[in-house]
Amino acid sequence: MATRPSPGRASGRRARDSLLAASFLAPAFAVFAVFAYYPLYRLVYLSLYRPNRNTFIGGSDEWIGGSNIIDSLTSSTFLRSLAVTAKFAVLTVPMGIILGVLLAVAADRKLRGIRIFQTIFSSTVASSVAVASVVFFTLLQPEAGLWRNVSWLSIKQPGSALVAISTTAVWQNAGLTFVIVLAALQALPSEVREAAELDGYGPVRRFFRITVPLISPALLFLAVVLVIHALQAYAQFEILKPTNDAQPLLYKIADPEGVETISSRAVYSLGLFVVSLIVSIAQFGLLERRVHYGE
Amino acid sequence: MSSVVFDHVSKVFDGTVAVDGLDLTIHDQEFMVLLGPSGCGKTTALRMIAGLETVTSGTLSIGDRVVNDIPASDRDIAMVFQSYALYPHMTVRKNIESPLVAHRGRRVDAAERERRVREAADILGLGDYLERKPGALSGGQRQRVALARAIVRRPEVFLMDEPLSNLDAKLRTQTRTEIVELHRRLGSTFVYVTHDQVEAMTMATRVAVIANGRLQQTGTPDEVYRRPANLFVATFIGSPPMNVIRGVARDNGAGLELAAAAGTLTWSTPVSAVGIGSELVAAIRPEHLHVDPAGTLDFTVRAIEQLGHERHLLGRSGDADVVVRQSSADAPIAIGESLRLRPDPAEVHLFDPATEARVD
Repeated sequence: MATRPSPGRASGRRARDSLLAASFLAPAFAVFAVFAYYPLYRLVYLSLYRPNRNTFIGGSDEWIGGSNIIDSLTSSTFLRSLAVTAKFAVLTVPMGIILGVLLAVAADRKLRGIRIFQTIFSSTVASSVAVASVVFFTLLQPEAGLWRNVSWLSIKQPGSALVAISTTAVWQNAGLTFVIVLAALQALPSEVREAAELDGYGPVRRFFRITVPLISPALLFLAVVLVIHALQAYAQFEILKPTNDAQPLLYKIADPEGVETISSRAVYSLGLFVVSLIVSIAQFGLLERRVHYGE
Repeated sequence: MSSVVFDHVSKVFDGTVAVDGLDLTIHDQEFMVLLGPSGCGKTTALRMIAGLETVTSGTLSIGDRVVNDIPASDRDIAMVFQSYALYPHMTVRKNIESPLVAHRGRRVDAAERERRVREAADILGLGDYLERKPGALSGGQRQRVALARAIVRRPEVFLMDEPLSNLDAKLRTQTRTEIVELHRRLGSTFVYVTHDQVEAMTMATRVAVIANGRLQQTGTPDEVYRRPANLFVATFIGSPPMNVIRGVARDNGAGLELAAAAGTLTWSTPVSAVGIGSELVAAIRPEHLHVDPAGTLDFTVRAIEQLGHERHLLGRSGDADVVVRQSSADAPIAIGESLRLRPDPAEVHLFDPATEARVD
């Protein structure tokens, strides 16, 4: 029998392991600290204190506390822009997923040249939001754009501006959905599909009764990711400059021409963070029950 | 009537011939095993019966109906897949009743459906698992669910594609017996694909041996074992396989014998098509070669496999690899020993080296 290491040696090894683990974690932690934890701390701080800009006289930042938070969260700017954000998510996420799934189902077959279509359909994933927005600008531009005469897609008309901007996001969401769902479809065992065919499910019922439940993990992932994308949408609005009624929360937070104070913007940001968190948890809670993760 | 008839059926995939002019009649209530090495076309043949592959040329009939253009769901068949192909998101009950729910022509009322699911579950001992999902079952139980799903349809023809190959050895033997039992009980036609000759020998009423997309031989397990139609069947059926010894026919005074590199072989069956000077291939099972100092073939032992009840001597006879099956009670033999073998003349099979067909 081998000699058992003494307790002292074991604890020494554990300490060495912990040190090693810490050194492996340090780079990731440093990145999070600089780009996530510290900004979050600053947000909370800025929501509670008005910064004292008078560096000559000195003096500390002024406590504004709860009243700032309540005022900001009940302001019409916050509520209205949050409503725009919500509407944007409703306009872009379901439509993007439906289009992407339809394209994926259409492209999931063995045909000569199908790869060309698969590449085209997934190309939106490779273009950034900014590039997509510029492309759509050529369509939506009020004077020269191709869609300048389509009244319900006008970015300079209150009421239609948000729908117009949503087309950009739908286009991009469809691409991401296409890539993920096509991969999910191709991973399905062909024998299950064939068994369903022999059982007598027609193509439509086979899709809803067999295929959709089997790809449900991919659909849940897409729902969560695309909703978060929608809540964080900014570049489309910055580039396409819609009317005031179509400016979402993040745009209000970052708008350099906005009149809001840094304190209110900090509270808006925290509000958006909390809303994203709640929506994600709710999605997992509600949809998880319907998702099947295989064996 | 639920025979299955292949009338010169071929299947070509992108220029590759998977099934080549198959003529095969599977009789009503027969347990037909399609046996062959992987890639021989047996699964393609089965999938054509199911309607999962189209027929490139020829006529395929089920009963008295030509089914070339009948969609899979409208054929009176049920199929059990190698991977079971259960719906993982449905309970065992939903899986089993699926064919009765999915197809309009097969829909039955709830009471009848429940009765049939119960019946199938009872036959296969699944009564306690009806509300579970397939993920919570063992491999053997999943296979039973797949069988139950096939039974509730009450099809004329059951198709099975290597249904036992994902089970461990013990469960495989047990399920083999159960499927044979099921066949007897249901009285339907079974078409069963396997590469495992033990399954073929133990389950089939008739075997169709297929290689390279072509039918090699059909017959009862006993017929294909005792009288292989060609060299492929001779060396494919049986474990260890038949020994193959090549040589030339010559006259030894008393009649013809085969002169091979390791010695000579004689046969007792009359063979008319062989004359002096004919090249021949002789095949003989390992149990029909006896260690005997008066034997006619040289043999050098290279390895010995002890199997408990018997042992296999592996070695060389001239230019051929040869296996000899012995009882464990026979006199011990050492590796490297040079022996003489006496082939049993009544058990020698002769084949034409060019066509590989049986010559007697």
